[in-house]
Amino acid sequence: MIVGEQKPLAEIKKTVAPYKKLLILGCGTCVKTCFAGGEDEVATLTSALRLTLKKDGKEIEIEELTIERQCEDEFIQEAAEAIARNDAVLSLACGAGVQDIARRFDKVPVLPGVNTTFIGVLEKQGLFTEECVGCGDCELATFGGICPIARCSKRLLNGPCGGSKDGKCEIDPDIDCAWQLIIDRLKTLGQLDNLRNYIPPKDWRSSNAGGPRKLVREDHII
Amino acid sequence: MNKNFKPKITLFHCINTFSDGASLPIAAEVDCELQSVKLPCSSMVKDVFLLRSFESGSDATVVFICPEGECRYVEGNIRAKKRVKRVKDLLDEIGLDGRRLSIFNISSGDEAAAVQNIQKAISDLADLGPNPAV
Ligand code: SF4
Ligand code: SF4
Repeated sequence: MIVGEQKPLAEIKKTVAPYKKLLILGCGTCVKTCFAGGEDEVATLTSALRLTLKKDGKEIEIEELTIERQCEDEFIQEAAEAIARNDAVLSLACGAGVQDIARRFDKVPVLPGVNTTFIGVLEKQGLFTEECVGCGDCELATFGGICPIARCSKRLLNGPCGGSKDGKCEIDPDIDCAWQLIIDRLKTLGQLDNLRNYIPPKDWRSSNAGGPRKLVREDHII
Repeated sequence: MNKNFKPKITLFHCINTFSDGASLPIAAEVDCELQSVKLPCSSMVKDVFLLRSFESGSDATVVFICPEGECRYVEGNIRAKKRVKRVKDLLDEIGLDGRRLSIFNISSGDEAAAVQNIQKAISDLADLGPNPAV
């Protein structure tokens, strides 16, 4: 899922200042799971915003709505009427969701309420960790299902670097050494020989370094 | 504090602490307008409920949780405590001051402690004054 964090209230307050009627639009999928933009966060932010504005003697009309996903037109259309009756939308989706709303409603300002952070997992309750950078050419089969690009601080494809201590990364002892994890896992799988092969430099053109990416599925286009 | 200022306090409490805070003698004993919200477990106090108490005019909001290790649902009181901490920080960001929100461990039926803690919330308001967002 996409992991994000709600922007500080002061920043949101500044962004919405020019508008009298605001729709706070939540997304019920990724950002709901990471407590940044589901129904609960929409409600809390609405209340917090109303309080802080009222304290300053200002008032704006805020409408709340959460749709299933902000990155699919089918769900976005459910918000059409609410978007039409407001001056602006504060989207609590990831950057993709914000842009998809903006693409479909070209006359309405769509503002981001979340800092989109990474592609990750809920490792345990309350802890989200980065697992993938979307490089466009997945090599997890070689590394026993542990991504050295996303999880090794130095992004080494031919690791380890030799600096890890007690299984922790020398750059940040709070994170596990991805190469320790790769080696342990390959040992368990009996695939340590994977590491006998030199991994050549990665062709980053399949990543966003190669410019904006597009996926076309002709079989789904009428 | 202005002598005419009679604070409005909202009390969220678990039904295992008191079956109904509104019917407690504390309502009569403490010098405030007390509104109480009973919950099946203190962990059900969501961020937004706490904020809405301030939107509804509360000058201070108090949450009563069971003592550590005594929550009937094992960790409900710990969850409530963490949530209150988060909302206190949010109240600072809002500009209302996190000190308007307080949380206390109360043993089941301990009315004397309840009165004492609500009185503490009232005396803290001496510095803070009325809710500036009403
Ligand atoms: S808009 Fe973003 S956060 Fe929402 S479902 Fe789509 S990818 Fe996830
Ligand atoms: S190799 Fe690329 S696609 Fe696969 S997990 Fe790592 S970053 Fe993601």
